[in-house]
Amino acid sequence: MNLQRRKSILKDIRRHGFFNACLLATIVLLSVMLLSGTVVSTSLRKGMKNMQQRLGADIMLVPKGSKEKAENMLLEGSRSTFYFDDSVYEKVESINGISQVTSQCFLKSLSADCCSSEVEIVFFDPETDFVVAPWIETEYKSGLSGDAVIVGSDISSEDGTIKLFGQDYPVVSKMARTGTALDSSVYFSSEAKDGLLKNAEEKGSFLTEDQKKSGVLSSIFINVKEGHAVDDVIEDAHKSIGDIFDVVYPKKLHASLAGSLVKITGVVNVISISLGAFLVAILLIINSIIMRSRKHEVALLRVLGHTKKRLVGKLVTEMGLICLAGSFSGCTLGALVVIPFGRYIGMSLNMPYLGPGFYGTVLTVALIISSVFLIVFLASIFFIIHTTNIEPYLALRREE
Amino acid sequence: MLTAKKISKSYTQKRRKILDSLEITIDEGEFVAVMGESGSGKSTLLAVLAGILSPDEGEVLFEGEDLYSLSDEKLADVHRNKIGYVPQSNFFLKNYTILENIVEAFLSSKEKTEEELTEKAKSYLTDLGISDLADRFPHELSGGELKRAAIVRALLSSPVLLIADEPTTGLDSNTGNIILSYLSGYAKSGNSVLVATHDDHVKEYADWIVDIRKDLE
Repeated sequence: MNLQRRKSILKDIRRHGFFNACLLATIVLLSVMLLSGTVVSTSLRKGMKNMQQRLGADIMLVPKGSKEKAENMLLEGSRSTFYFDDSVYEKVESINGISQVTSQCFLKSLSADCCSSEVEIVFFDPETDFVVAPWIETEYKSGLSGDAVIVGSDISSEDGTIKLFGQDYPVVSKMARTGTALDSSVYFSSEAKDGLLKNAEEKGSFLTEDQKKSGVLSSIFINVKEGHAVDDVIEDAHKSIGDIFDVVYPKKLHASLAGSLVKITGVVNVISISLGAFLVAILLIINSIIMRSRKHEVALLRVLGHTKKRLVGKLVTEMGLICLAGSFSGCTLGALVVIPFGRYIGMSLNMPYLGPGFYGTVLTVALIISSVFLIVFLASIFFIIHTTNIEPYLALRREE
Repeated sequence: MLTAKKISKSYTQKRRKILDSLEITIDEGEFVAVMGESGSGKSTLLAVLAGILSPDEGEVLFEGEDLYSLSDEKLADVHRNKIGYVPQSNFFLKNYTILENIVEAFLSSKEKTEEELTEKAKSYLTDLGISDLADRFPHELSGGELKRAAIVRALLSSPVLLIADEPTTGLDSNTGNIILSYLSGYAKSGNSVLVATHDDHVKEYADWIVDIRKDLE
């Protein structure tokens, strides 16, 4: 396209300023709606899939009265601390019908030099663990010795260490992104607990009496052997350790959430389709008005020697430029709203929410821009072809 | 140069034939006036002869080729280079100056540069006495001034056939005479001019007149 033609197209867009502004606004809204709808529903689905893949335990035992906190921790990764005595673990381990058992201990959130927000410290047993391992993104070979740590995906450790209470701890591995507060967690081996607590006290960090105790656990994760009933295992646990625990069923929790997800995505889809249909109708109306207002101009240009093909090309190019500006602005606006507040959206829906990463966002934006182009093209091409096909004299006469 | 053979045209909403088996030939250098009452079909005849309204029957031969058998590209080429048409209504793009309005339609063609087109447009504007209005906007001009600007726009491609629909209607006699005199001069330079008009003054300039009621119906 030569310079004169480009200038002419830009002038034409400005000339029909009001209607083109309406068209632009509609495209912006359509893009915002498509992007937000796609990102929210995809992130919820991804969060759910991620959760399904990683929630390895059949049951999770937590101290009595901590069930809600534990469920929230599983779903949203929200930070909680609750403890029971670690003697419970040995009793549970000996219950018949258990194939895997491991424990974790959560320490309160602490400010760390590495991060702008507080980090959660989790102690786990690498020997028996089957809960943290599936999340590990980069394999570590040397084992988790005393002061080594595994960090959540949001924690930066460029020099391979993380500083906590003034001491550097070597980072041996990083977790996959969960889209929850667990992304800013630091995982220590249980062996490291005493040393860390001592160090924290020396640095003047406030710890509760429960946290200071060395022989406490926050949760016990259990996988039941095939052929054994989960309820039998729970009953045996009651008999063995008494009524001091609540049971969380991560997999049942997932099944219940999956049902909610279907409802939520259904609502999101219905809203998106209704709003989309409304915006497409607006697009059709605006395109019809624009082309009607340009009928005379198109006819005159044909009288002056423009071919139909060239006029269609010119009008489609104008529409394309408006579409590009609108869809790009809409996607930017949508991304600015949906992506930074993704975690809050997940929390408000009480669902796991795993937003798209950089490449995922770029891909989604490209997909939305292409879709918006297609929608706008289909919503305008009929009017464009119809207008360029009217016999010039008839179009000129109708304006008289 | 242009021959119309057995041209018929009717509009569906009116049913009656506006043009019925019409035949007309225009030669090079002729100034032809089409006269008749309102609704007699003058504008329709001009549009059919200009290649912008297809007839129901018959053919319009321009330089030996039927305009309505040409491809869209070839017909556009004829309109761009050989047939100039001045519509009855003065249509101009609102936010463009008169000079921009005249030049704009031809800018995207690679045949002439913007400078060449501007120079040529200014020359025609001077010929028609409105060179001082080149940078004004359409709403600042009178009907007669706009009509003259529309003629300049049609002349910019130096067409061998200029067709003007009611170029003097609604204008004072002085402005009308300026326009008719210019069109007559254009015909005398070897081109052909076809106008539809109610204006009896045209008889002073036309080589021959088609009275659409008497001659064609």
